[in-house]
Amino acid sequence: MKRAIIRLTLTVCWANARSQERGNLDAASIDNFEARVAEYVKLHNTAKEKLARLTPTDAPSAIKRHEHELTREIRGMRRQARQGDIFSAGISAQFRRLIGITMKGPQAARIQDSLQRAEPVRLELQVNAAYPASVPLQSTPPSLLMNLPKLPPEVDYRVVGDKLVLRDVEANLIVDFIPHAIP
Amino acid sequence: MRRAVLVILTSLLLAQHASLNAAQKPVLKLPLRPKSVRFAVIGDSGTGKPEQYETAKQMASYRDTFPFEFVIMLGDNIYGTETPADFKTKFEEPYKALLDEGVKFYAVLGNHDDPNERFYKPFNMGGERYYSFKNGNVQFFALDSNYMDPAQLDWLDNQLPKANANWTICFFHHALYSHARFHGPDADLRARLEPLFAKHGVNVVFSGHDHVYERIKPQNGIYYFVLGNAGQLRVHDLRPSKETAKGFDTDRTFMLVEIAGDKLYFQTISRAGSTVDSGVLKKQSSASTGAAAHAAAAGSGYAGMDDGYR
Repeated sequence: MKRAIIRLTLTVCWANARSQERGNLDAASIDNFEARVAEYVKLHNTAKEKLARLTPTDAPSAIKRHEHELTREIRGMRRQARQGDIFSAGISAQFRRLIGITMKGPQAARIQDSLQRAEPVRLELQVNAAYPASVPLQSTPPSLLMNLPKLPPEVDYRVVGDKLVLRDVEANLIVDFIPHAIP
Repeated sequence: MRRAVLVILTSLLLAQHASLNAAQKPVLKLPLRPKSVRFAVIGDSGTGKPEQYETAKQMASYRDTFPFEFVIMLGDNIYGTETPADFKTKFEEPYKALLDEGVKFYAVLGNHDDPNERFYKPFNMGGERYYSFKNGNVQFFALDSNYMDPAQLDWLDNQLPKANANWTICFFHHALYSHARFHGPDADLRARLEPLFAKHGVNVVFSGHDHVYERIKPQNGIYYFVLGNAGQLRVHDLRPSKETAKGFDTDRTFMLVEIAGDKLYFQTISRAGSTVDSGVLKKQSSASTGAAAHAAAAGSGYAGMDDGYR
């Protein structure tokens, strides 16, 4: 009996320690992701400082010009960018886990339904490429956004097929993406 | 005999001509109360095709009898590419008559819109994805339903109680309730937004996305309209249910709205100029919205305000 209690106690302690360790790992992954995003936003702002500030205008050509110039500046500053630069393997695994939890919970059916009704898009993705103007932007279910790390306004999460995309909002640029992120 | 046939044919032609003229002549069903808030509603408009132009022409024609001050746009303002030429053919030209008369347009982003449309001054978005404006005793909240992130939900939760107006109206692209087959309602968006609407006493919600017109019976005490056929159209896409108060899916439409005191009058008009729906909504009492807030938070299907329809 005493041996059983000791074994049970040790098992509980081991499970707690593992959970604590995993929690720390999760937090570290999220911190790592946020640091990488902050680094990108710094680059985005540096690129933007080189351009005239975009304010509401009657001229759509001025909006497009600003978008293209910002895209060109950012591309020039991260020529070597590759898929996985921000969503590293560890961060991607953490995101897949977070998305998996969200999409298996009580709101799973609701989120799947939302994705289906949002006019799903399929698209070959490439880091540093512009999101094509003629392809609709699929909406991202709010419950999914609630469970992912918060982003600064310069970037957003978008769903393209089963991929989760990090997109530069103003430059309309694909910053990075996670393949097979959406179950 | 031949003369008789000719007379009958001529009479028939004249009658047809007269009826066509009657159909084209605006028949207003709104009361035109003094100092009322008057606006029009369009959704999924920016195709640049003849049907958009014809609907826009009908709007301008109705404005002669119902001088609305502004138009709310429910998203998909510019379909396809967004070159300067597209802004011209899909917005500036079809609505030229209204723009020339100083009618303001307030847009939200649809899934076919480039988010940078928020910098296009004639859309009056002030460079923001979501924003609010007030006209008379009505506070409008324009939301970005493509990306309802926690920041936007927090903003809405903070701004709604500050609305110092008799009526609160929200408008955005994706419908919380819709019985169109192609898209239908966005349940996840509804789960996040409706409790806030009920908690803060939102009165009316306008959405697009589905290319039909549908008036929904009040849900959790809130009036819902879907109007996504001011340019696009999905013929016979509507599958009316017991929640549908009125539907129309065989032509393009736009809406005229007049708010006076605690009454909201509406008239939905087709591209041909005929009225497909009209009525008056009574402003919900705060007691009913309180009950609705409770029901929405609990996820029930409480609907207790349908006596406002006629």
